[in-house]
Amino acid sequence: MPRYAMAIDLSLCVGCAACAVACKMENEVPPGVYNLWIREREVGTYPDLWVEFRPEQCLHCENPPCVPVCPTGASYQTEEGLVLVDPRKCIACGACIAACPYDARYLHPAGHVSKCTFCAHRIAQGRLPACVETCPTLCRTFGDLDDPESPVSKALKEAGRMDVLRPELGTRPKLFYLNAPSKKGLTREKEVRHD
Amino acid sequence: MTEFYGLPNAGEFWHWTNLLHFILVGLAGGMALLTGLLHLKGHREARRYTLWTLVLIALDLFVLWAESPARFRFTHVWLFLTFHPASPIWWGSWGLALSFVSAGLLYLGKGPGRPLALALLAFSLVALAYPGMALAVNLNRPLWNALMAGLFPLTALVLGLGVAALLKSPWALYPLRVLLGASLLLAFLYPLTLPLEARGHLWEESGVLYGLFLALGLGAFWKEGLAPWAALLAAAGLRALLVAVGQWQGLGL
Ligand code: SF4
Ligand code: SF4
Repeated sequence: MPRYAMAIDLSLCVGCAACAVACKMENEVPPGVYNLWIREREVGTYPDLWVEFRPEQCLHCENPPCVPVCPTGASYQTEEGLVLVDPRKCIACGACIAACPYDARYLHPAGHVSKCTFCAHRIAQGRLPACVETCPTLCRTFGDLDDPESPVSKALKEAGRMDVLRPELGTRPKLFYLNAPSKKGLTREKEVRHD
Repeated sequence: MTEFYGLPNAGEFWHWTNLLHFILVGLAGGMALLTGLLHLKGHREARRYTLWTLVLIALDLFVLWAESPARFRFTHVWLFLTFHPASPIWWGSWGLALSFVSAGLLYLGKGPGRPLALALLAFSLVALAYPGMALAVNLNRPLWNALMAGLFPLTALVLGLGVAALLKSPWALYPLRVLLGASLLLAFLYPLTLPLEARGHLWEESGVLYGLFLALGLGAFWKEGLAPWAALLAAAGLRALLVAVGQWQGLGL
């Protein structure tokens, strides 16, 4: 059984948001909510400054806190490690939204919770997730973490640096950030949001 | 400076209707527990309290249903067709539903009285415990720490006893003051149990209101006539405030 994962090489991401647009189209994500978004932030201190673009989405955690809190089983983990939501069982109680440390889930206007699926419908057809296929700088890789020859395993092996978000929570994300600029001096100012 | 193309799905996911539920479920759970105890003691007020319990549970369930974006998809049936003991909300659904059934049977005088009263007591404890647990399991939200698992059952009992005091039950005032005192002590210590950043957020977002609810609660120890109102307002206010402000994730990302 494959164990799907994704890696994003931050040194290659130019923040063009093509992945975010492709995701909106592919998954018919309604206005105002997002499966995928790009965080743009300044890293470092003068004169060592860097603008980092970090695409974010559901990390398909190996130990997903959003699954056990679900009272109906609408949130579940597949054998391939995808964390999905069955809208037919979701009561929109919001417990999974509360449990997700990455703000990856939202309430769909149809009355159920939704989020990135790693394009499970495309994977089932042997295709890549829409964001991976669309990225013009090829910064995204996807595949089976247990196959050493898969693109994602190779990218992880070759990366100079690998990070996951909020590792202290023990969620064991399967979205890896590669070659991020140094976290030293990271600015933590208030976030500015553009819808 | 951090900017976004698209937006993380951060922000409030539980709104005033959910806050109302967190108050109503406390009232319903507290009353259910008192009702179970009154039935066990064979108290003459038991029947009156049973009706209050039924009304409050029904009201809470109605609010839950009415505010749910899934209300007309009838997906709530899955709460009772599946087994998810790791989910506090699953426990809460069963706790409330079975409290309602056992209180209903007690009110109608159908079935064995003592076992039903014991069952109501047990189910009401589940209904009392689950809201705090539903918050405390979220390790990612620093304001909802383990203290929620104690503060929410305590304030639920205060809410139940507050109603009992308003119903002029003479036995209610003493336990009301004791449990309110314990709740206020916990609420007073609570900011000290928070990481610095979370304490700052609590202070910035609702420091004044938090202090106001604590002060209101102290009013219950002043005049007897004031006690039920002060206790009800303080307990309800603290519950709603902690749910609302605790949705903050911190700057972890
Ligand atoms: S990122 Fe959030 S929604 Fe996705 S698996 Fe992890 S906890 Fe669940
Ligand atoms: S909102 Fe839906 S998917 Fe999330 S915990 Fe509730 S029932 Fe489960």
